Amino acid sequence: MKALRLALVAAALAASVAAAPAVDRFREANELARAGDYPKAIALYGELSASGEESASLYWNWAQAAAARGAQGEALWALLRARELDPGDRAVVRDVERLRESLNLDPAEIAPEPLAAAGRASRRFRLDLVALVLLALSLLAHGLARAAPGLRWPGGAAWATLLLGLMAAAVPLAASLSRPTAVVVRRGAPLLDAASPTAEATGSLREGEVVPVLESSGAWLRVEDNAGARGWAHVDDVRRIDAAPTPPRD
Amino acid sequence: MRRLAIALALVPALAEASFTLRSEVDARRIGVEDQLQLTITVEGSGAPDEIPLPALTNLEVVGGPYQSTQVSIVNGRMSQSRSHTYALQPRAVGKAEVGVVRAGDQAAPAIAIEVVAGSARPRQPQRQDPFGMDPFGDPFEEMLGRRRSRAAAPKLLVEAVPSRTRLRVGEPLLLTYSLVTQASVADLQFKEPPQFAGFWVEDLERPQGSPSGEAATVEGESYRRFPILRKLLFPTKAGTLTLPATTFRIGLARQGFFDAGGAVERATNPVTITVDPLPDAPGFSGAVGRFRTSSSLDRDVVPLGEAVTLRFRIEGTGNLKWIDRGPEVAVAGARVFPPQAKSDLRATSEGITGSRTWESVVVPETSGALEVPPLPFSWFDTAAGKIVTVETPPLSLRVEGGTVAAGLPVPAPRPGALRSGGSLPLRADLDRHPASSLALPGRTLFALAGLALLLHAALWGAGRWRAGARRGASRAASPRSVRAALAHLERAGREPMSKEQAASLVEKALHEAFGEVPEDDESERARAVRALLEDGRLVRYAPQLGQYEDRVKDLAARAAAVVRRWA
Repeated sequence: MKALRLALVAAALAASVAAAPAVDRFREANELARAGDYPKAIALYGELSASGEESASLYWNWAQAAAARGAQGEALWALLRARELDPGDRAVVRDVERLRESLNLDPAEIAPEPLAAAGRASRRFRLDLVALVLLALSLLAHGLARAAPGLRWPGGAAWATLLLGLMAAAVPLAASLSRPTAVVVRRGAPLLDAASPTAEATGSLREGEVVPVLESSGAWLRVEDNAGARGWAHVDDVRRIDAAPTPPRD
Repeated sequence: MRRLAIALALVPALAEASFTLRSEVDARRIGVEDQLQLTITVEGSGAPDEIPLPALTNLEVVGGPYQSTQVSIVNGRMSQSRSHTYALQPRAVGKAEVGVVRAGDQAAPAIAIEVVAGSARPRQPQRQDPFGMDPFGDPFEEMLGRRRSRAAAPKLLVEAVPSRTRLRVGEPLLLTYSLVTQASVADLQFKEPPQFAGFWVEDLERPQGSPSGEAATVEGESYRRFPILRKLLFPTKAGTLTLPATTFRIGLARQGFFDAGGAVERATNPVTITVDPLPDAPGFSGAVGRFRTSSSLDRDVVPLGEAVTLRFRIEGTGNLKWIDRGPEVAVAGARVFPPQAKSDLRATSEGITGSRTWESVVVPETSGALEVPPLPFSWFDTAAGKIVTVETPPLSLRVEGGTVAAGLPVPAPRPGALRSGGSLPLRADLDRHPASSLALPGRTLFALAGLALLLHAALWGAGRWRAGARRGASRAASPRSVRAALAHLERAGREPMSKEQAASLVEKALHEAFGEVPEDDESERARAVRALLEDGRLVRYAPQLGQYEDRVKDLAARAAAVVRRWA
C-alpha cells in the first residue's frame, strides 16, 4: 500500500514538472500578444497545441492574437477549435457569432455538418457516459429480475434504463457519422484540381468558411465549399477543426 | 445660305386694311422628286384666324399647315406676324401653280412653278448623329429632303474635380462633377454609371448653387460652370487609385422652331488619387477623422437585481460608418450584455458627421461599489497626422440591497471575460483538458452499447432456457398414462382396500400422470401435486384411529381433478 502511494505521488510530481514549462510558455505567448508581437505569440500557441497542450483557453488567446493581426479566418478557426474542446464555453460561442458577422458569413456557412452540433451537445452533457451508466444499470436490473422472479420492479427498471441508455448513446453515435470540417484561414485560398502545388486552381475559397473534409492526402485536404465545388486545398490555407494543427511549416 | 425665291405681292394699303398678306415658296423650279415649302405670312392685326389653302395645280399637300407667331417691338411700336407653312409635292413633270391666296379683303398673287424630272435640289450631306434618329428633330428636315444643322459644335464639357489628390486610407475625398458650358442644356445623364473601385462612396445632396452657375474661363473663353453631382469617397486601401473617365450624355436645348436640339457625349478626365496607408497601433481599428468620446450611466445608484444602461458615444467627423464596434466593456461584479449601436449620421463635404452610441445593459451581480473602467478609443487624427488614443473617465455605480454586504470586494471576472481597454482579452490559465473534451470515440461507444445489448440477450436467453428446462421436466403425460392414472384413482375411491393400499395407489397415479415434480417448481400445478402427495403420505402413515374411507375417497377425487386439469 505504501509503495502504491509513493508511486502515485511520483506520477503527480512528474506530471506537474512536465506541465510547468507549458504553462510558462503559455504565459510567454500571452505577454508577446499583449506587447503586440502577434506572429511570435501565434507561433508559440501553435507549438503548444502541436505538443498536445490543447485547451479552450489556448485557442481563445490564439484567436484574439489572430484577430488583432487581421487574420480573421484564423481567429475563427481557433475559436471553433476552442468550442470543440469546451462546448460549454459561452464566451467562445459569443465570439464565434461576432466573428461570423464581421466576416459576413451566413450561420449555415460555418455549420455545414448539422450532426457536429449534436456531437458538441453530447460532449458538453457527457451523453456517452450517461449512456454507459444507464446501460450498466439496465444490466443490473435485468440480472436482478432473473435472480428474483418474485420482484416485479427490476424488470420495469431494466427496460426503462435500457431505452434511456440507447437514446443517450444514439446522439454521440449519430454525431460520429458527421464528416470532419475545416476552416479557410487565408483570404482567396485557391481550390485546386489536384493535391499538388502545380495543380490548376478551379476556384477560390472564402475566408472563414467552414468546409467539410472529404479526404486527406499528406498536406492536402479535399474539401467541398458551400457552392458544392470540390477540390484540394493546402493545410496552410484550410485547417481542420477536429484535430490539433500540424506544426508550422518552414 | 439657302436661297429663297420669293413672290411677294404687296397689296395696296387701304384705309381700313391693317394687315398685309404674303405668299412665298422656297423654289420656283423643282424636281418631281423634290418637295416645295409654301409659306403664307400675315403681318399686322385684323386678319382672320383661318387662312384658306390656295388652289394648287399639279401639287398636293404632304405636310402642314405648321403655324408660328412672332411678336416684335421696334421703336416702341409692336408688330405681329403669323405664318402658315405647307409642304407640297409635285405630281408630274410640267407646269405647277400655287393659286391666289385670299384673306379678308387681302390677296396674294399666284405663283408659277416649273417641275422637271428627277430632283433639282442639291444633295445635302447627312448630319452624323451618334444617337441615330432624334425624336425631337425638325419635321421639315425629313419632308424637305434636307436637314438643318447647327452653325457650330456646342461648346460644353464636363469635369470631375477631387478636393485633393493625396490622402490616407479612410480620409474623405469630395469629388465634384460639373458641367461647363456656353450652350443651353435640356437634359444630362450618365451614359454609364461612374466606377469607384477602391473607394467607399457616400452620396451628398445636390449642390445648391446659383441657377445661372458661376463664371469660368476655359482656354481663354468664357463659360458658365454648373455643379451637378457630389460624391464623398473614402479610400479603402493604400496605393495609387484611378477613377476612370465618366461619360455623360447631354441633351441640348432647342434654339428655335427649326432647331432639332440633339444630344452630345462628353467625358471627364480620369482622376488619379494617391492613398497613403494608416499607421498601425494596438487597439486602432481604422477610425479616421476628429472625434470625441464620452461614457455615461443612466443612474448612479441601483438596487441589486436591476439593470443600468451604459452608453459609450463617439461623435465628430470622419469615417464614422466604419466604426462598427465599440470598446469591449467588462465590469467586475456585473454582467454586461452585448451592446446595441445607434447612429445619428449625415454625410457632409468634410466626411460623415454625427455620432454613434453603443448602449450596454449592465446587471450588477453583487452589492457594493462597482466601477466601469475607462473605455479607450483610438483614431487617426487627420489634423495631427497621428493615432490618438483617449479614455473616458471611470464611472462609479453603487449597488444597494441584496444578500452580499455592501463594501465587500467584488469577485473577479472569470478569465476570458475581462476585456479592459484596448488590450487583448487574453486568458491567464491554460486550463487544460476540460472534462467535456474527453469523449468516448464513436466506435468504442458503439461496441459498449452492443456489448450491453448482448448481455441483455444472454440474460434473456438464459431465462428462456431455464423455463424450457422446467417445461421439459413437467411436460404433459401421455393419454395412456392419464387414463391409467384415472383408473387407479377410481379404484382407490371405489374398491374396498386398506388406507395404505389406497394411498399407494393415489401416489402411483400421480407419478404416472406428472412424473417427478421439482422441488423448486413454484407453479400452481406443482404445488397442487405436491399437496396431494403430502396428503397421500399423511393417510398412508397415519395411525389407524378410525375409518379413512371418506378421506381416501376425497383424496382420490381431488387427485382425479388435478390429473384431469393439469395432466
